[in-house]
Amino acid sequence: MIPGIHLTPIGEDSVLLEPGEGLDPTDPDAYLVPLLGYLQKQRARFLIYDLKSVALIDNVYYEWMTTMNSLCMISGITMVATNIRPYAAFALSQQIAGNPPFPCALNVDSARRKIRGLAAPESDPDT
Amino acid sequence: MTTPAPTQRTTSQILIDLLMLNVGKISAIIEQQGHKIFGQANLLSKEEINDYSLEFLELVVILLQTGTQLDRRSAEFGALRKFFTSFSQQIQARGSNLDEFVRYIQFLQRVFLDNLEADATVDFAQSRAILLLLGSIFNDIILDVFHVYLEEKERTIQAQQEELRQTSTPITEIWDGVLTLPIIGTLDSTRTMMVMENLLSRIEAERARVVVIDVTGVMAIDSQVSHHLIQMIRAVGLMGAEAVLTGIRPEIARSLTSLNIDLGKVTTRATLSEGLKEAFRRLKVEVHQGKG
Repeated sequence: MIPGIHLTPIGEDSVLLEPGEGLDPTDPDAYLVPLLGYLQKQRARFLIYDLKSVALIDNVYYEWMTTMNSLCMISGITMVATNIRPYAAFALSQQIAGNPPFPCALNVDSARRKIRGLAAPESDPDT
Repeated sequence: MTTPAPTQRTTSQILIDLLMLNVGKISAIIEQQGHKIFGQANLLSKEEINDYSLEFLELVVILLQTGTQLDRRSAEFGALRKFFTSFSQQIQARGSNLDEFVRYIQFLQRVFLDNLEADATVDFAQSRAILLLLGSIFNDIILDVFHVYLEEKERTIQAQQEELRQTSTPITEIWDGVLTLPIIGTLDSTRTMMVMENLLSRIEAERARVVVIDVTGVMAIDSQVSHHLIQMIRAVGLMGAEAVLTGIRPEIARSLTSLNIDLGKVTTRATLSEGLKEAFRRLKVEVHQGKG
């Protein structure tokens, strides 16, 4: 149990992360180690970060996401951001210089399709 | 029974008397001017002009009967103002302009003054008081008409902006999960914001997986426009959809190269149809020509 984060194993080596209101992105150290511990315990290969409840992704939040993505990459876990709200996408596209280092998906189903594609690159990611 | 001496009459009473004595004449002059302004331009029918003229005179008399001092909150004055507001809205809807209507209102005021000149019993002080009273009434009416005109203009501008907004971003779902966005003209910051807002909402609503952005209609591109395009494509990616940029004409491609704009990470195709084929390919959709 990590305060401010809700984690749910959803099968296919994936864990769904839903941030809550208690999440403080300015303090990544408080979350990263226990989060990685949980993911490793679950033998997760994919982390689906659900941004449905995040109205705005500012620089601080984006930095938190990229830090988490880096941590996942080091541990062989692929993070997929999903459900970015239109306004959040609009604002973030203006803040960042390039594409984000993690893949994005429209919703959790699309993320799972994308994951299947990533797990088996030779097959079609969307089927 | 004694009648008050002319010098003892109140301002309102003088005006009421004036109207009563010359109602036929005043009404005819007002109608004639109404025909000249509104009839010739086909803004009002003869019957409408006559009705309006009579209603105006009636409302003025009712207002004058309330007393010498103009009470701006009175129901009688409110009725006169409402009459002009409706009148103004009606003829504005029929294409009249503000100048014509204001001149007409000024003419109505002048009719009273012209008829006052003929009354030898009215002294200077009374004339002055009448002038001030009429000035107060008609100035308020002109201000009301002006506000109505501005509100109407504001509504028209808003409606036109909304129409422009709709037509400038014709986002179409051309296939399940495929949106097309043809961009015509120039992309400035305001328009980009508008297009992006619509596009991202549509991606979410339609669960679009591929967006084909066609720039065949973009005549010129500078660093700012290309920056906006890249932002738009990035935002599409953040939503989890894929963007395909089509219709980059040779001159535009040359400009992008000169500007050192890197579209290396953007999927581009020469034409909209090629872009659609790419979208179908990504969705594993195959289109076959039917037999026969």
